[in-house]
Amino acid sequence: MTATWDIILKEMIMGSLSTMLNLLKVMIPLMITIQLLMVYNVIEKLANKLEGLGKIMGMSKNAMFPLLVALVMGVSYGAGTIIELNRANPMSKRDLALIGIFMFLCHGIIETGMLFGVAGASILTVTGIRALIAFSVTMLLARTPIIRGLDDAAPSG
Amino acid sequence: MDKFVTAIRDGFLKGVSTGWFLLKIMIPIYLIVVLVKYSPVMPWLERTCAPAMKIFNLPPEAVVPIITGAFTDEYGVLAALGGFEFTTASITTIAMITLTFHSIPVESAIARKIGLSPFRYGALRFITAVLIGVLTGLIGGALL
Repeated sequence: MTATWDIILKEMIMGSLSTMLNLLKVMIPLMITIQLLMVYNVIEKLANKLEGLGKIMGMSKNAMFPLLVALVMGVSYGAGTIIELNRANPMSKRDLALIGIFMFLCHGIIETGMLFGVAGASILTVTGIRALIAFSVTMLLARTPIIRGLDDAAPSG
Repeated sequence: MDKFVTAIRDGFLKGVSTGWFLLKIMIPIYLIVVLVKYSPVMPWLERTCAPAMKIFNLPPEAVVPIITGAFTDEYGVLAALGGFEFTTASITTIAMITLTFHSIPVESAIARKIGLSPFRYGALRFITAVLIGVLTGLIGGALL
């Protein structure tokens, strides 16, 4: 050990306390925001307005809703929405692959923006620029033969 | 109006319970990171990873939050960040790398569950994270 135990213990206690405060500072406003978004169906309305952006990324109009859920609220909410939607009418392979690309590169921007903002990162970079990068990568990959070769029709049965 | 008040109350309660749940995970990670930081493992880790971190314009100890993030999640990254003193530019670069490449075990399971290849999507995330890290490292200071 390169430091004495009392320094290490003091650091542990102070650090744990500040972690705790920072976390509550984020989790309470975050959960209130998510609750409001759900109660007022904000994402559903937004998805209809942003259909054009989905088209640029090679997606059909059904893809925008689960994508926005993942982008705004997080990957587990997004995956849950996809599973839910698939039950009613299955998504095409191409849509699923494209949502996956965007969603796994960039998700939960409200949560991560707040968390890393409190930790000291540039909020604009970790939200705006990160979403822009995911958008660009999805747009580019949508034009490659791998994605274009995927079936864009919803599987029947 | 009633709907609004209920949403605020539900959100608040969810925030407290989620916060409590996450703390139980974050505090142990934080404590382990502090121990590792003062242990003989740290100089070795720094020496081994310094060249890789240099690609991202990061100090050698940045490897700790990045590795922690790959195996745990964003909260693990935050816990690990708390153990060190980083500049705003470094925190931003670490955030951009780890936010692209994190929770690989859990999110691979999610990918499989919705019918996507965990390997392909993991590889995509890794490659993108490296590119994003190089980019943010280059222009880091200009973004703040």
